[in-house]
Amino acid sequence: MDCARKASRTDTVPGQTRDLTHSDEVPGQARDGTTERTKHLANPTTAEPILEIDRLSISFFTRLREIPAVMDFSATIMPGEALGLVGESGCGKSTVALGVMQDLGTNGRIVGGSIKFKGEEMNTMSPARLREIRGSKIAMIYQEPMASLNPAMKIGKQLMEVPLIHDKVNEKEAYARALEVVTDVKLPDPKRILNSYPHQLSGGQQQRIVIAMALMSKPSLLILDEPTTALDVTVEAAVVQLVKDLGRKYGTSMLFISHNLGLVLETCDRICVMYSGEAVERGSIGDVFDDMQHPYTQALFRSIPLPGADKNDRPLVAIPGNFPLPHERPKGCNFGPRCDYFQAGRCDQDMIPMVRVAGDDRHQTRCLRNHEIDWNAPVTAAATKIKHVPGQVVLKMENLKKYYEVAANALFGGDRKVVKANETLSFEAREGETLAIVGESGCGKSTFAKLLMGLETATDGQILLDNISIGDVPIEKRSTKNVADIQMVFQNPFDTLNPSMSVGRQIIRALEIFGIGKNDTERRARMLELLDLVKLPRAFADRMPRQLSGGQKQRVGIARAFAGDARIVVADEPVSALDVSVQAAVTDLLMDIQREHNTTLLFISHDLSIVRYLADRVMVMYLGHVVELGTTDQVFSPPYHPYTEALLSAVPIADTRVTKKHIVLEGEIPSAMNPPPGCPFQTRCGWKSQVPGDLCDTQVPPVRLLAPGHQVKCHLDDATLAAMEPVIQIAAE
Amino acid sequence: MDPLTWTGGLGAFLNPALAITAALCGIVLVVQTGLRMGSAAVTLQSNPDGTLQGRGGVLGALDTALIYLVWALVALLLAYIVVPLVMPYGSAGILGEITRRLLPVWIALVATFALSIRFKRRLGLYGKLFDSTVGMIGFVLVMFWVYVAAFVGVFDMIVTHDYLSQVSGLKNALPGVMVPDGTQGVIPHYLLGGDNLARDIFSRVMAGSVFVIAIAPLATIFAFMVGITLGLPAGYYGGKFDTALSFAANLILAFPVILLFYLLVTPEIVQTGIPSYMAAFLFAFPLIFIGVLINTRYYTQPAKRNAIILPVLGILGWLYLSAINASGTVIDFLPAWADLFDISVLVVFVSVVFVNAPTVFRIVRGLTLDLRTRDYVAAAQTRGEGAWYIMLWEILPNARGPLIVDFCLRIGYTTILLGTLGFFGLGLSSESPDWGTTINEGRKLLLIYIHPALPPAMALLSLVLGLNLLADGLREESLKD
Repeated sequence: MDCARKASRTDTVPGQTRDLTHSDEVPGQARDGTTERTKHLANPTTAEPILEIDRLSISFFTRLREIPAVMDFSATIMPGEALGLVGESGCGKSTVALGVMQDLGTNGRIVGGSIKFKGEEMNTMSPARLREIRGSKIAMIYQEPMASLNPAMKIGKQLMEVPLIHDKVNEKEAYARALEVVTDVKLPDPKRILNSYPHQLSGGQQQRIVIAMALMSKPSLLILDEPTTALDVTVEAAVVQLVKDLGRKYGTSMLFISHNLGLVLETCDRICVMYSGEAVERGSIGDVFDDMQHPYTQALFRSIPLPGADKNDRPLVAIPGNFPLPHERPKGCNFGPRCDYFQAGRCDQDMIPMVRVAGDDRHQTRCLRNHEIDWNAPVTAAATKIKHVPGQVVLKMENLKKYYEVAANALFGGDRKVVKANETLSFEAREGETLAIVGESGCGKSTFAKLLMGLETATDGQILLDNISIGDVPIEKRSTKNVADIQMVFQNPFDTLNPSMSVGRQIIRALEIFGIGKNDTERRARMLELLDLVKLPRAFADRMPRQLSGGQKQRVGIARAFAGDARIVVADEPVSALDVSVQAAVTDLLMDIQREHNTTLLFISHDLSIVRYLADRVMVMYLGHVVELGTTDQVFSPPYHPYTEALLSAVPIADTRVTKKHIVLEGEIPSAMNPPPGCPFQTRCGWKSQVPGDLCDTQVPPVRLLAPGHQVKCHLDDATLAAMEPVIQIAAE
Repeated sequence: MDPLTWTGGLGAFLNPALAITAALCGIVLVVQTGLRMGSAAVTLQSNPDGTLQGRGGVLGALDTALIYLVWALVALLLAYIVVPLVMPYGSAGILGEITRRLLPVWIALVATFALSIRFKRRLGLYGKLFDSTVGMIGFVLVMFWVYVAAFVGVFDMIVTHDYLSQVSGLKNALPGVMVPDGTQGVIPHYLLGGDNLARDIFSRVMAGSVFVIAIAPLATIFAFMVGITLGLPAGYYGGKFDTALSFAANLILAFPVILLFYLLVTPEIVQTGIPSYMAAFLFAFPLIFIGVLINTRYYTQPAKRNAIILPVLGILGWLYLSAINASGTVIDFLPAWADLFDISVLVVFVSVVFVNAPTVFRIVRGLTLDLRTRDYVAAAQTRGEGAWYIMLWEILPNARGPLIVDFCLRIGYTTILLGTLGFFGLGLSSESPDWGTTINEGRKLLLIYIHPALPPAMALLSLVLGLNLLADGLREESLKD
């Protein structure tokens, strides 16, 4: 039975990656999975919507005022349909989900509209009826898998609870069902998994368990609130694939909340774009992506780095201004103040209604001027920036190694294990160059950054800054100049600034430490200049970090890093925690400062779209090894290292013209404590069978030079490498 | 003049009114609970016109009634305080006279609240406290005793008789008793009666607050300085240093507190000088703490640092030497003119700091373990900041929320601890008016006369309750935004 299902699933998977999301057709029809979908539905003949949200308004009541979080929101989800809800943080997308679950906390209220689940009004439902529906008819998957699982309970027990409570079956039956879903979510060795505790599983496995739990009772509606944000890209790709397959298999309708347009394109049939508490545009994926009818949707697409964007020739267009706070929303159109097409006297008068876009399938937009705007007008080219030519080598790594010794037993020592965090790292970085370091969590990026900063000292090898070795000098022993030369921009904007110190004070402190300025007056003047540099108003100097938005905090972080005129800046995923529209602005700022100061930028990231956009050279790391290093063009076009290939295919791209090869990596990243023998990637490599003998299992591949400046660590022979096809192809228009 | 009754002329109207209101409150509450069991749970309904509908019908009416009754109850209780202020002496009974004596306290409380509520949006966490009912009740109780202590200790107001003078014939006299002519103080009555030694209980309780309010917060501050100065490096560095300090903290915590006190105040132990050496050790921590705090902040500008650190450390150092130096003990080297003061209850002070510091140490260590992984700590490390700067300026300010809450709770524990010490007569003179000693004396005849022991016990209870409620309010409000 199991085998049969597996086979049928694998049959439906290939070829669906792209064509599915072009929904010119009505969802649930004319699609290869149709029959499988509909037969699970209670009543397939009537096209009654699973979820019908009509003019929903939700407010939160704080001690100061009522804060409207969602206004006039309508959406319909048909059986078997997947609706993507997209928007920046704070736009109310999660609030909609919580509203559907009727779980708004003590100070949240539904203040208007209706939510109908299979025709039944949920706003007036009794708590008992709600309990019955939650978890059995509507299931929700949250962002943090660990937070959704009870750490003190075995997985099996947690899964069995669902049928035990909702279907009142006996333990044996419940166990059988638990085993079935765990097999369904493609976890290896299901019996062992059922018998383990959540902390014994990796993040990806935990999220699979959460998905399994949600599917236990065969819900009609599945709400996914950023289900993959906490996961690595390759794991994300696998989880997304799984959700898609299972949704099809069980005929579940989905409400997929995400900030990632690419992800929505890959998973959903329809999309709803939200801005500041309102739905601004909704329609089928094809209509919205290719024929957008709202300025915000358009601005959103222009601010993400799609293939073809280039930092010099086709820079990203950031959305000007800031997201309005809920109680400071403008009159009329919420997007008005940031909109290129704003017309005073029209857009700032009354509330804008949703209007239908003629000709398309249920495509609506909240724009008064949608007939007047020429949506196909090309982007007004921003000033083309001069390409910078990298100067001489400033930083050089030679066979850098970092091993950590870990005692197996904390109290009595015991066997000591060696964690090889960095293994023979060799590369150089030139003045004014952007070198991207790419890899998933645990690949040794952060260890490398720590070594460079001097927070740790190298086990072996050298770091040369201007030909002076600094690899074994801890930060306390480095000269002020050295410390000021290498600075860092951190990932989490909410963590990068000390919450109890004013913005100006934090920058002045950096100036004090670096010995800049003779007295407080001079330092204050320099601090204000730095605020100008990162395009923040000078008044921010006296603000506390909590009064700043994420993007603004990140700008302060950048200003602080450049306080001592840093020559090398390590940017550790500086924009990954920011909203897309802010990402573009912060990235461009970083690029501008780099151009101006001729800074060497080491850009650590897992987001290959942004790497492709801004990096001059790319270094791909896996389990402490550099598996590929070359210029951006060399790395992003074949021949690839098999891991690079998988990474490229895993990145969701929000462009309907792009065709991707689909490579899903099986298994988990091995632990650095216990790396596989031979090639580090051999456990997950799809090309392993092409290598003769047991070379991959026994020998670490040598570094091979494929082209000048392009090196790869792989056993594949030249002919196989040369025959590789590009992962991403843009269809000709 | 006659002995005073409890409520005097005031009671004629207020007592029955209070009884009726309280009874009605109780009845409504019972009926409501009964009705609620039978009815469906309340869900909010949104009407088509966009309005919300809450509860209606009988239950809704009872809800409203209960609110009015509770307000009436509060108004009546307020009347007990306000009305006597305009009545002539003696006509408002014992309660009336007590509220009249406390007039400065009422004025101070009203002024504090009026100002705080007026400016609460500008006062940070303290201002937020006035959004929480629980927090406000706690704050009233605490500030009541703070003001009582201030007015008694500084201005010698409120107290009616000398708390040590004995008046013959008033031994264990009942509340409201007349004082014989010639011996009366400010007023001719013992408001709360006389104790076993014929002293005025009201004055003793009021005077006792000075001891608690002066010692408890100060000892808690010292315990925090010790705990923070050791807890930060333990959490920040970890390793063997942490293991050793944590073990020492556990060792102290594992030792029975009362036994420790008994040991510390035993004359033989005092003779060996152990408490004095402990004081020298423990009192040094605030010096180290403040010195390091200033140095890490200004070490890049030596001139500015010296200008600040030298006078501060100079004054603190002198205070430190005066505090640990006492004639007749092992540490007695300062000339008499330089010794600013002697702490009479040094032993009590040292013991309280000693047993409180390990708990603070553990809290600070835990918070540091969490906060040291933050990016802003890493940012400070990558710009080459010293470890102590990171601990004191990057980590400590962000641990302040839980620490402030714990500070309030800990003053409460310290208050109880001081009461316990007084009760056992440890380190305090038997004449001391502090609440612990007074309770202990009242205890001896508790079965015959309950009135000498009750007032100090109620005082202790209300202060500690106030501190706990205050901590609850702070915790609740600091979590909201």
